[in-house]
Amino acid sequence: MTNGAGCLALVLLWVARAATAQARIDERWPLDAAGSVRIVHPAGRVRVVGWDVDSLAVVGTLAPGAGRFYSAGDGHVRKLGVDIPADERIAGRGDLVVRVPRRTNVWVKSATADIEVEGVDGTLDLTSVRGAIHVVGTPQDVTAETMDGAVEIAGGTGRARVKTVSGAILLRGASADIGASTLSGAIVVRAAGWQRGGTGVQRGKFESVTGDVRFDGELGRGGVVEFETQSGNIAVRVPGRTVADFDALTIGGTITNTLGAAQPTPRANGAGQELRFSTGAGGAQVTVRSFKGGILLEPK
Amino acid sequence: MMCPEMEVRLNEYVDGTLAARDRASVEEHLASCAGCRGAVAELRSLVAEAHGLPRSIEPKRDLWGDIARRLGKRETGDGKRWWRGALAAAAVLVIALGLYRLVPPFTAHYRPAGGGVGWAAVQADFDRASGELGRALALERHRLRPETVALLERNLEIIDAAIAESRAALARDPANAELRGLFAAAYRHKVELLRWAAHAATS
Repeated sequence: MTNGAGCLALVLLWVARAATAQARIDERWPLDAAGSVRIVHPAGRVRVVGWDVDSLAVVGTLAPGAGRFYSAGDGHVRKLGVDIPADERIAGRGDLVVRVPRRTNVWVKSATADIEVEGVDGTLDLTSVRGAIHVVGTPQDVTAETMDGAVEIAGGTGRARVKTVSGAILLRGASADIGASTLSGAIVVRAAGWQRGGTGVQRGKFESVTGDVRFDGELGRGGVVEFETQSGNIAVRVPGRTVADFDALTIGGTITNTLGAAQPTPRANGAGQELRFSTGAGGAQVTVRSFKGGILLEPK
Repeated sequence: MMCPEMEVRLNEYVDGTLAARDRASVEEHLASCAGCRGAVAELRSLVAEAHGLPRSIEPKRDLWGDIARRLGKRETGDGKRWWRGALAAAAVLVIALGLYRLVPPFTAHYRPAGGGVGWAAVQADFDRASGELGRALALERHRLRPETVALLERNLEIIDAAIAESRAALARDPANAELRGLFAAAYRHKVELLRWAAHAATS
């Protein structure tokens, strides 16, 4: 009887351990220096790190219910990720660290997993439904979309396009061509790094419905930058010496300008305020539009 | 190839909305830049073709009825999801075309043309297409997590309120080009939100 109970206890222990055991992943394949990798990772976290080795390595763990790891491809393109049967809900999280050659083009899709990319110089296409997206480095081109997660892009990109529904967007670094759009999140652009070798924003568009937009940085000479909100406030802080043509308009809000002496006037046709002034020829063109949000133009 | 920094000015030049001083500056640049001259010719050609389009194009028959009936059969498998994805994409395309008629994409200093040409038709396009997209999404919303549905509904309320505000302001000031731009932007956000939700539900 005692032996029987002991055996049962051992079996139960083994079953419990098997049910809670994490699957470990440790795989490696050759990958061209400028190859492509496509990653699907539903829940947890996926971290993609650029390295100076012509191979792709994945390490990580999958909790029970997180799905099954898979991979396919060759030295040019590799697909990998975690597969969950279509009729099952995500019941566990996985953590993956994927090391890729620095110039790899990376595509990542997640449901709730956070996506982190560091030191990858290729093109990044990152999509999550509810996870956050963080990019650090100097990728050539970044497209990042998430519904609810926050997005942060730090470093310098040739081109960045970021969209969220309610997630906050933080862009900082030396990007020349950036666009950010959100419905109810906030957009913050910090340009502190642009004085150190950057050219300032050459092309920028920042738009939200209710979220506030704050731009703090340098405008490229000849650059074109637009801000647009429905009810969010817009603050544009640029160096006092900035050469630009400013064109601001709000239908139901107010405009405050401390960049120069020019002050807003009531719109000639219709409600609202408008302000147009120039601090010199050949500079940037800044257009600010808000339906009922306030507009602030001030020196850094 | 057009000089990238001239894109905005060339658009305004072709639209005839540049101030005299800026117009002279652009013409001076055009005299010495074949790429930009080519771009201006293309833009003028595009504008001419756009002016030649009918003010509205009615489908020969109501496509939605057939599509709704097919969806109503509740087919199973990937084919069903593909159909709904395609429907969502089609609705987005309709709205995108409507938006394009109003606002060139990612072009700074846009000034939607005044005069109300086709404006009512564009608003009707928005309403019809977003309604179709919303119905397609309704069929798939059970595939979304409850918290995603809650997020979607919360943000749809926000965007619908913004659209209603813009629409009311436009009703008071129908010729206001800035308001049209803001209205179009609000609708663009709604399209993006519906596109997101449809994509999340069908993929």
